[in-house]
Amino acid sequence: MQEEIASHARDISRALGGKVSEKEIENELNNYLNVYRVSLDTAKRSIVRKHGGDPTGLQLGVSKTIKELIPGEQSVDMLCRIVSVDGRQIDVEGGPKDILYGILGDQTGTVPFTAWVVEGLDLHKGDVVRVRNAYTKEFRGQVQVNFGNRTTLAKESPDALPPYEPGKGSVPRGPPTPMKVVDLKEGSSNVALIVRVLDVEKRQVQVNGDAKTVFSGTFADETGKVKFSAWKDFSISPSDTLKIEGGYVKAWRGIPQFSFDERSAVSKIEASTLPTVEELEKSPRVWIEDLAERGGAIDVVVRGIVIDIKEGSGLVYRCPECKRVLRKMACRIHGEVQGTPDLRVKAVVDDGSGALIAVFGKDLTEGLLGKTLEACITEAKENMSQEVVRDQLADLLVAQPVEVRGNVTSDDYGLMMIVDGAKILKVDVEQEARAMLEELEGLEDTA
Amino acid sequence: MNRETAWRVFAGEYNDSTLDMSDGGERSPTYVVTPLGAKVNRLFVVGVLTDMENVGTEQGPMWRGRITDPTGTFHIYAGQFQPAAAAAMSKLKPPVFAAVSGKSRVYKPDSGATYVSIRPEIVKVVDANLRDYWVLESCQSLKKRLEAAREAYQMNPPTVGELLKLGCSSALSAGLVAAVAHYGNVDLSRYSSMLAESLRYLLPEFQESRPPETEGVIKVEEKVAEKAPQKGADDQLEGDVLALIEQLDKDGKGASWDAILDGAKKHKVDRDKLEELVNVLLDKGLVYEPVLGRMKKI
Repeated sequence: MQEEIASHARDISRALGGKVSEKEIENELNNYLNVYRVSLDTAKRSIVRKHGGDPTGLQLGVSKTIKELIPGEQSVDMLCRIVSVDGRQIDVEGGPKDILYGILGDQTGTVPFTAWVVEGLDLHKGDVVRVRNAYTKEFRGQVQVNFGNRTTLAKESPDALPPYEPGKGSVPRGPPTPMKVVDLKEGSSNVALIVRVLDVEKRQVQVNGDAKTVFSGTFADETGKVKFSAWKDFSISPSDTLKIEGGYVKAWRGIPQFSFDERSAVSKIEASTLPTVEELEKSPRVWIEDLAERGGAIDVVVRGIVIDIKEGSGLVYRCPECKRVLRKMACRIHGEVQGTPDLRVKAVVDDGSGALIAVFGKDLTEGLLGKTLEACITEAKENMSQEVVRDQLADLLVAQPVEVRGNVTSDDYGLMMIVDGAKILKVDVEQEARAMLEELEGLEDTA
Repeated sequence: MNRETAWRVFAGEYNDSTLDMSDGGERSPTYVVTPLGAKVNRLFVVGVLTDMENVGTEQGPMWRGRITDPTGTFHIYAGQFQPAAAAAMSKLKPPVFAAVSGKSRVYKPDSGATYVSIRPEIVKVVDANLRDYWVLESCQSLKKRLEAAREAYQMNPPTVGELLKLGCSSALSAGLVAAVAHYGNVDLSRYSSMLAESLRYLLPEFQESRPPETEGVIKVEEKVAEKAPQKGADDQLEGDVLALIEQLDKDGKGASWDAILDGAKKHKVDRDKLEELVNVLLDKGLVYEPVLGRMKKI
């Protein structure tokens, strides 16, 4: 520590142009740190200012371990290993730009990083590097390390840090928690699941620059369906019933997805108590309030009443480049373009427990209207208004009970279903009312 | 930010509300909390629009409408800030079946009373099938709340955590905690009979006790046409029934159906004939139904 203090004292002295002796500064620094107990970073800046210097002249950042990092560090040093690194091109003002991104690790943890200046940067997986003057930000509640143009990197010998062990510290402890598909939520870990395989395919993917084989598909139990990714070959085949222990849940646009890998235990159950594949293929009916709590789901049925048709429904024109719907014949990204006509409905479906936006594509919309896109274009021209189609849809759909089926995602604007199938809901009101009344009177009789 | 749910709540439950709340924060929405814990910012109702009038001015119209369901009457108000709904309302000719989605509103005059109403977003003419479907949905919704409320009113005091454990949604749990704190003791039997009555309302075997509300709406035109030849005699009877309704309306809440029926017998008017006459009066806009089973002269 004292040796480190000496190098910081040297740094301060240099920033002050040698006006004050290193020895004097070292005493002062010790005083700040041990008597007043301020952070090293603050202490250094204060001393420089006190002697009339400019703190930006300081070059030596404060060394921290990954666990000690907090968002908003202006200048931080670290000794860490490159756990993974990958390159990517991004679009910024002024054209495309190459960046590097990946994960840093040390004995205390791991953290994602981005290098914004790649010229002369030669990083490889497994390298141990001394990082100076990096800065941190927060992204989705997680600290991220950034390497900017003030940052310098120096390679150290690989034994300067103990080797990184994947998954160390996150190995499932204790018995896994048994769950049903409907209970899976983003962030659940060490889950035990008994499911039937509906479909599975083998795919090659790039993960942080490495080629990997993943087996993905759909699982189901009597409560619902979920997409899965198996990062090891467990010889999964359709209609198998599996017991998986030690899986975890990630989310894609709010939809929970189940993952498991070599740390999970997978066994096949011969005497399955789950319904058949045909039974499980059917989409379960769910309440919107449950979808809101889960964040989304694949292939579910919702019954509700259409209570509004949103703007941007009916006849729309899309950007030929990016398929975005044009506003006033201009694309948000590509400006004025010759739009391609399309039909869609964005309907608010409410089942009394919650609401979602149901998006109907061209084919379904044509079916609802009973006419083709071409007929709608002609009609809009005759009426000199695109809105005529939206008005017809509102007449048809508003206050109409419907049953819609599809995948439900969620974002900051709430739940959205991309509708695969829809029908006008017909309910035998009398029969349901009678059943409810009989149940009610039955309760009174026994009470 | 999920869109506010459009609750299915009967007028009987909604109008019992005396609690309004917001989650705090400047822009957070306000809610009307019913005694059964429905935390209503938006609601969807279907019923018979019995009357409508402009209570504003020619230049600044404010449309007031009454929509009845099997349990009571919703009051809806649409003015210049709800242009689409106000335009739709101005075109309606009561009585019609109407579907309304809108925001809950509370009015608390100095007298200490609380009046709840609906500020409509969308108003649409619908049919009897949708009304029946809505009644069924509202029954299912009421049943869910009633079961949860039975538990909540026994807890001392209830907490959101405990109610969630019983399987209540987070919205209902929060609503019930607020409801129990505000309403204290609530006679839940009022709501269980509301539920049973509303279910019976949907079943043909119980429709004898059903006041001539829907039949009136559907059949009134043909009946008026059929009876044209004996118009003179009917005009006389109509006048008698109208006078009777006015006379029996002692407390200003309207004359009860049973009392009108008794009174009509003195004029040698039987049940069927009376229904017919009342339908004609409803159609002419001379009487309306402030609540189901009660008639009031306009």
